[in-house]
Amino acid sequence: MPQNIGPETAAHFFRKNGRPVANGPGRVYFPGMSGQGSQETADRADAVLALDKVSFAYPGGPAVLEEASLAIEAGAFAVVRGPSGAGKSTLLRLLCRLEEPDLGRILFNGTPVDAMPPPALRRSVAYVQQMPTLLPGTVRDNLRLPFAYRANSDLTPPSDRDIQARLDELLLDGLTPDTAADRLSVGQAQRVCLIRSLLLNPGAVLLDEPTASLDAESARVVLDRTATLSRTGVTVVMISHSETLPEAATRVIEVHDRKLRYA
Amino acid sequence: MTGPIIQIAPWQLFLCLGFVLLAGGASVYHKLGLGRDLLVGTIRAFAQLFLVGYVLRFVFDVRLSWLVLLMFTFMVGAAVHTIRGRVKDRTIPFVIPTFLSMLVTYTLVTMLVTGVIVGVKPWWTPQYYIPLAGMIVGNSMNAIAISLERLFSDLKARHAEVEMKLALGADYREASQDILAGAVKAAMIPSINSLMAVGLVSLPGMMTGQILSGTDPTVAIRYQLVVMLMLVASNTLGALAITALIRKRCFSPAQRLLLR
Repeated sequence: MPQNIGPETAAHFFRKNGRPVANGPGRVYFPGMSGQGSQETADRADAVLALDKVSFAYPGGPAVLEEASLAIEAGAFAVVRGPSGAGKSTLLRLLCRLEEPDLGRILFNGTPVDAMPPPALRRSVAYVQQMPTLLPGTVRDNLRLPFAYRANSDLTPPSDRDIQARLDELLLDGLTPDTAADRLSVGQAQRVCLIRSLLLNPGAVLLDEPTASLDAESARVVLDRTATLSRTGVTVVMISHSETLPEAATRVIEVHDRKLRYA
Repeated sequence: MTGPIIQIAPWQLFLCLGFVLLAGGASVYHKLGLGRDLLVGTIRAFAQLFLVGYVLRFVFDVRLSWLVLLMFTFMVGAAVHTIRGRVKDRTIPFVIPTFLSMLVTYTLVTMLVTGVIVGVKPWWTPQYYIPLAGMIVGNSMNAIAISLERLFSDLKARHAEVEMKLALGADYREASQDILAGAVKAAMIPSINSLMAVGLVSLPGMMTGQILSGTDPTVAIRYQLVVMLMLVASNTLGALAITALIRKRCFSPAQRLLLR
């Protein structure tokens, strides 16, 4: 049964002065439910990703989130669950500012996301769409695409060897940098999209059902890779419809009745 | 070749109505049901052209710069109204920015043509400024309508691709570069095609008019070349500037695509 996390639970993780006590991977803290202001805001500033009383509705639609709050710390592997249409994808899109809250704030590393240039934020908080989108051309063209953007100009495009190694790592055996992108299956394309986002060395990744089109073996490999990411300090927020939770998951966030809670 | 133009007398104009009667008769005989539209169309054409004829004669006679520019503003307003009717998407307000940029761009382009290339003094001399401006605005109206329609429909159809690029750190310009280029290119194709076909398929209206009024065809082609090159330039500039301006409005300050 999902439960709301009040300030009492928050106090378990944070000292009174607002500095984190237990800042290890996987601490998820849901402030703001009690409506106590400044202390919690200071706490949220220590999280990698945080929502502070966020309300959101699509134009002309019903509310998707209402005063929803959440804080996720470095290296967490958070799995987002909830019924279809509850707002799971919306949550991910809000975190990388592809949607903007009607009310409330969203913080990345303690900074309100609207104080950062959007390209810089999105490079750091990588969102991988549920439907993989690749452009015509080769796998190499697609993986090097983001390196042409100004916000990523300090990064070096991957070499063919690097690309091949990453393809092999995600069980994309038959693929080479020269493979035409339009010949990939949905599952293969999904993994190429994941590689593309990870090449930017993001601080957090937002994955919208990354294993939905994969066979059991490929799904396991993707989840292992994701777990490795979170162990190296990259925060993972992943939507999953699967009943079985990934072993490495440290928290489960439920989107329910326009609020965020953890199960 | 040269000589005074033959006037069309009122009775000759009246005789011309015989053409409409012929078309009307055919409509009745074949039950096309076009009789009413033909009647309204004929009356409107007479009324509108007579009105414009008298307005132009007045504007040419009084020779006031502000009146020429007022008429030009009215022409741009009518063009924007037409564009508004042809572009179906209403999510992004584009009418006022389009009007203002057309006004500024095409005032400058027409000024350049009349004042510098043709060398009319003053540059706003209505006999030159109004017909040339009319051609620029009329042509660009089509280019801008095509370009905006294409911009909106591609941004919607390729929504996922644009968001993919944004999510990878592209700014709104980088994320929609291909779509902007495609929209402007689509708008340019008709005027480039007409550059290819001119003189072979048909004689352009302006050249025809000059030849009918007694101008030496070798003079008329020079004017026509000025006009066609001017139209290619003004279509490109107008479509590019306005599409880029409106493209920016398709994204929020957070560089989020507003069209869904």
